[in-house]
Amino acid sequence: MESIELPAERERYEPGSEADFERLYRNTYRRILGTLITLVRDRATAEDCTQETYERAYRNWRSWRPDAPVEAWLHRIAINVAISDRRHQQLRSAGEMIRRLGRPAAGPDPSLIAENSDLVQALKKLPTKQAAALVLRHYHGYTNREIAAALNVPEQTVASRLGAARKQLQAVLGR
Amino acid sequence: MSDLERELEQELHRVLDPITALPIPARRQPEARRAARALLGGAGAALTVKVLTGVAVAAAAVTVAGAATTGSLNPADWGQQVTQQVADCKAQLADGQHGIGACVSSFASQHGSAAASAARQHGNGNGNGNAHAKDKNKAHPATPKSGSVPRGLDSEPGDQAATHRTVTITSHP
Repeated sequence: MESIELPAERERYEPGSEADFERLYRNTYRRILGTLITLVRDRATAEDCTQETYERAYRNWRSWRPDAPVEAWLHRIAINVAISDRRHQQLRSAGEMIRRLGRPAAGPDPSLIAENSDLVQALKKLPTKQAAALVLRHYHGYTNREIAAALNVPEQTVASRLGAARKQLQAVLGR
Repeated sequence: MSDLERELEQELHRVLDPITALPIPARRQPEARRAARALLGGAGAALTVKVLTGVAVAAAAVTVAGAATTGSLNPADWGQQVTQQVADCKAQLADGQHGIGACVSSFASQHGSAAASAARQHGNGNGNGNAHAKDKNKAHPATPKSGSVPRGLDSEPGDQAATHRTVTITSHP
């Protein structure tokens, strides 16, 4: 099998090494956060899911094999975290609405741009794995093979998933 | 690349680049969070509370039983009191007289019933466990092995005094 080199793969990491995991965190945090912002409802949730991703990754850090692309592995965990979060989102939404009542208007915040973006809102309406495939492809620049590694599915599945995601995105955006 | 794909890329970079350029926060430490979750949330919390409650109730029951028997809160005193009682009973025997069973059992029966009460509170409905067996072992060595003492006398501590008097008479005609 042809080796895959994602941006984080340019560096070498030793499984189980505390220092290497900290380096991995520094090198990949922004990319994982960028993916999760398009998958979960807001930035605060995305940050929480990002931390949860690294907690899960840390628990399995000793068993990670260096021949597997580490950033794809992290993205796989992140997508699973996002799926779990979406499942629980409906339960939380009622309580969240109550907490937001009376809260002063937020100041200028880059995350508001994302939260108010029609595209990001449309992505959040797609199935999590479809939205993830679009973000990995069009924001991170992954190839289908890299996306397949991240989603743990065959490349053919990625191609069909991307096609379905684009079609559904057009429908959501009304184009 | 289609128009949609190009637009998708531009829009994603427009909205996500400013966010991902922000400083990277410190990594959350998993140990502290896991420990807090285990103690404060979910089934772990319920189990922790149950275990702690059970231990506290058992400790309180044993303490109350021991204190009620010996008048002391120190468990070491309870064993010393039994030893002292045996010594006292032996000292009270007249020359040629055998058997301190009734004397010791009057003390042991108090301890036994208190221990049984504690065991019942702790879920052992029998209440006739090791504490009672220990008392038997301590009382028996002084009992004559001649066979004249009916077996099973210790099973009814309330009758000990009267029964023992009868035994003493029959063993020394």
